Amino acid sequence: MTKRRMFLRMITASLLRRRSRMLIALLSIGIGATILAGLVTIYVDVPRQVGAQFRSYGANMLLLPRDGETLSSEKLSETLQAFPEDTLVGAAPYRYVRLDMTTRQQSFTAAGTDFEQITKTSPYFSIEGAYPSETRQVLVGKEIADTIGVKIGSSMELTYQPVTSSSDRTPEESRVPGASLSGSAEGFGGGMVYASAVLDSEAKIASVTVDVSTQTPEYGGRIAEDEAFLSQLTGRSLPLSLGDGIDALSGATVTSLAVIDALNQATQTTAAAQPKTANFIVTGILTTGGEEEGYLFISLDDMKMMTGEDRLDVAELSVSANVEQLETYAEEIENRHGAVQARLVKRVARSEASVLEKLTALVFLVTLVVLLLTMICVSTTMMAVVSERRREIGLRKALGASDNSIRAEFLGEGLFLGALGGVLGAVLGFVFAQVVSINVFGSSIIFQPLLLPVTVIVSMVIAAVSCLLPIKHAVAIDPAIVLKGE
Amino acid sequence: MSLLELKNVSKIYGELKALDNVNIHVDQGEWVAIMGPSGSGKSTMMNIIGCMDKPTKGEVLLDGVDISKESSKRLTDIRRDKIGLIFQQFHMVNYLTAVENVMVSQYYHSMPDEQEALEALGRVGLRERARHLPSQLSGGEQQRVCVARALINHPELILADEPTGNLDEANENIVLDLFAQLHKEGTTLIVVTHDPEVAEAAQRTIVLEHGKVAREVINENFGK
Ligand SMILES: Nc1ncnc2c1ncn2[C@@H]1O[C@H](COP(=O)(O)OP(=O)(O)OP(=O)(O)O)[C@@H](O)[C@H]1O
Ligand SMILES: [Mg+2]
Repeated sequence: MTKRRMFLRMITASLLRRRSRMLIALLSIGIGATILAGLVTIYVDVPRQVGAQFRSYGANMLLLPRDGETLSSEKLSETLQAFPEDTLVGAAPYRYVRLDMTTRQQSFTAAGTDFEQITKTSPYFSIEGAYPSETRQVLVGKEIADTIGVKIGSSMELTYQPVTSSSDRTPEESRVPGASLSGSAEGFGGGMVYASAVLDSEAKIASVTVDVSTQTPEYGGRIAEDEAFLSQLTGRSLPLSLGDGIDALSGATVTSLAVIDALNQATQTTAAAQPKTANFIVTGILTTGGEEEGYLFISLDDMKMMTGEDRLDVAELSVSANVEQLETYAEEIENRHGAVQARLVKRVARSEASVLEKLTALVFLVTLVVLLLTMICVSTTMMAVVSERRREIGLRKALGASDNSIRAEFLGEGLFLGALGGVLGAVLGFVFAQVVSINVFGSSIIFQPLLLPVTVIVSMVIAAVSCLLPIKHAVAIDPAIVLKGE
Repeated sequence: MSLLELKNVSKIYGELKALDNVNIHVDQGEWVAIMGPSGSGKSTMMNIIGCMDKPTKGEVLLDGVDISKESSKRLTDIRRDKIGLIFQQFHMVNYLTAVENVMVSQYYHSMPDEQEALEALGRVGLRERARHLPSQLSGGEQQRVCVARALINHPELILADEPTGNLDEANENIVLDLFAQLHKEGTTLIVVTHDPEVAEAAQRTIVLEHGKVAREVINENFGK
């Protein structure tokens, strides 16, 4: 048998056969290593964790259409290409309109959105029930739910009233083939006369409808039903003028003129610009503590169906990046897509950075303190071990052990304990970090493969350093004590 | 030929002279018993001879080397190379088995050799109990392990401080027989004892009183 094997045999025997005391030493190193490994894991993982945490406070970037521009779903997904993979946590599009609840004669702000993205950009949304998963379903803000008394499963009849003056084209620009035009003019006695026309493929009038309800029924009011008057307008190009093959309705010259004026001033309205009514089923009630409680939320598809438009007012983005990176992305987006404006939600981005710094410093400090405490604890235990083994140490010396042999044996035991405690600590530490992470940050931790060797080496170093003083005491033991009585 | 010589050796603790001008001479291969009342300085003398303590005054020549002037590191080397120790409280490393305890002595001396250690245990009649821990051995058996441990490195000098103090008659005889064998093989033995029977087994008895050599008695009956 070699000396080394005997050395290992003595050390392992000491640890394995003197279980109780060594278990305490092992435990102190193990616990220290556990906390260390745990903290280091959290330390390494903190930026990711805190980032994720801040993501849960909502979006940190907004995309908006520039003045006079529109943002479509297609344009949005094109814009989102600017973000490298994995940095984009979520991007929730929003289109806001007023919807009327005809049965109650009330109207509410409704947002068309993508519910899957909302769960990512606004994880703090608290839903009673569920997000809509199909079309014709609605998520109702708590405030609305309370006022109108809807419950999950209730149905709501919602109507979209298009805003007709929404077009900003001039009458001349509006006269394009296939357009629907509508306009108004003052009629008899100051009452308004409304007229709409649909143009054919040659931009000539295909049909005309008028609303003359403000005019005297026996005179101007007859125009609405007067085929002869209306038919003489079809097949002509705008603008029209009375006398030029167009005869005024007798006894209703003013109203006739008003109809022609209304048509001449008519501007384009879109084909879908008809009131649209649909029934929605309530799938959930939304509580946020914010203004969202006063909104209705429907899917983007439903919003397109109701308004006939594919338009977005804003997109809220949750991006995993620091302030500088966010600024770079924003700049890039604005350079590449002139129609899009990218804005940082600075409050969130900034506080993330400062909290990160503080947390990192705190974890570092705690790690240092734990390191020190572990060292004191292990040192104390080893001290007790030395005094417990005084007679054995004296005996070894009497048998010819040099000071260096004694040092080597105790250091060997210490390192062995350190390695064992390190392995224990790495495993338990990961579990500890996992538990902390799940409880504090609500997310799990990624295992760092370096954790095991680093923890083992650190615990061995701690154990070795902790053994220095006890070893000094062991070496100072006088072998003569073994010849004396107890 | 002289192996050990104490010349005017004194060990003084404050006012107390544990050893007072002691002169002793032990030949190579001699078997000497040391007797004396409690507190007469027997253990003090054994510690000095065993290189675990230094005298306040005087010279201690072991194999012609004055060990009273050596550094403690050198003393450790000398003790390891030349001396086998046996104690009254049969000290063993309590978490090592009998054979491992013997091997500890080999380990510090040169090379652990399990086979040789087992043979030494066989010599003291404990071959069968080699794998037992001290707690599983009787006092007598433990002392026999200590004897095996003391002789494993073939020391020139075996120092035994009351080796039979805690043993019954049967074990005492086993140990004395082992001493007789070692003596035959030429090992020098110095045995401290209170027991006249143990002293009578030796060739010569030195009696200490108040730290001084009171008298020396040659055992006329030795070997008979
Ligand atoms: N380290 C010490 N400091 C002070 N006095 C000591 C020390 N060691 C021994 N003595 C004293 O020296 C004297 C001799 O002690 P020693 O141990 O040599 O006696 P002993 O003959 O072996 O006795 P016993 O038969 O009881 O073992 C005693 O009076 C003891 O009290
Ligand atoms: Mg004594």
